[in-house]
Amino acid sequence: MRVFIDPPNSMILYDLVERFGHEPLSSMAAIQEMIDNLEVDMPPMNVTIDDVVRGLAYAGVEVPSGIRGRLAVWGPLIDAADAAVIMTDAPFSFGCVGCERSNEMIKYLVRRKGIPQISVGYPETAEQAETVVGMIKEFLEGLA
Amino acid sequence: MSEERETRLFMISPDSKLTPDQLVRMVHAMGLEATVKETCYGCLVEGPRELVRTALENVRKDHRYEVFSKVRAYPSSDPRRCRAQHGTRPGYAQLEAEWELLPLIQHALLHAEAGRPYKEPEEAKQFPVDDFKKMCEANR
Repeated sequence: MRVFIDPPNSMILYDLVERFGHEPLSSMAAIQEMIDNLEVDMPPMNVTIDDVVRGLAYAGVEVPSGIRGRLAVWGPLIDAADAAVIMTDAPFSFGCVGCERSNEMIKYLVRRKGIPQISVGYPETAEQAETVVGMIKEFLEGLA
Repeated sequence: MSEERETRLFMISPDSKLTPDQLVRMVHAMGLEATVKETCYGCLVEGPRELVRTALENVRKDHRYEVFSKVRAYPSSDPRRCRAQHGTRPGYAQLEAEWELLPLIQHALLHAEAGRPYKEPEEAKQFPVDDFKKMCEANR
């Protein structure tokens, strides 16, 4: 099954989903698509105006363009997902979690889609890590 | 998704005794027609998707709990990304954060795959209104 991960560029979540036999949907694959098929320029212009317009399908026009730009990349991944693994309360540098409003929108879109999802906290200790990995393993093994 | 190219990042857990050099030699010794680039955290393997997946499977056979992996959007040494060529996307903050977390994940994977139980997380409780009121009125 195709599993959306949040943060969408997390190596740990990507690895765990793949390890337990599913296809992770990550921002890396979406951006590779842009790189291989379109020209991404040397200056940091990651999104085009078309992307921001595409983001309107996921967020209203009053939402800042940064969020719409992110959702233009992540929204189609959520559309394609059969399940989702979400890590909450991650520190700022873990994945692209710097924009809390985008994170809220992702959680909302996943909930609205009604797909099976699991939400785990960021582990700080060995015991918490056991819980996180154990829960993700059980969830992924339980997917048909 | 693109089928032709896959660039995969292999990251060694800080708890492992494996070095990036040993990992690169191991991938080279597989005799696959894929490009391997040694990095400070492990290596990058780039080539046709099937070959890169074969490399991943072989690495996982020997170092299942020590090497973690994900795909990378930009090709290896891409001037738009590469720090050596002063690329404009030199972000390793996230990789560094995840690298620090890998020993815990390594431990947890061993724990989970041994079939040991884990402690259920505590459910978030509602904050009592009286306590909240006390907090609001603390400095009155």
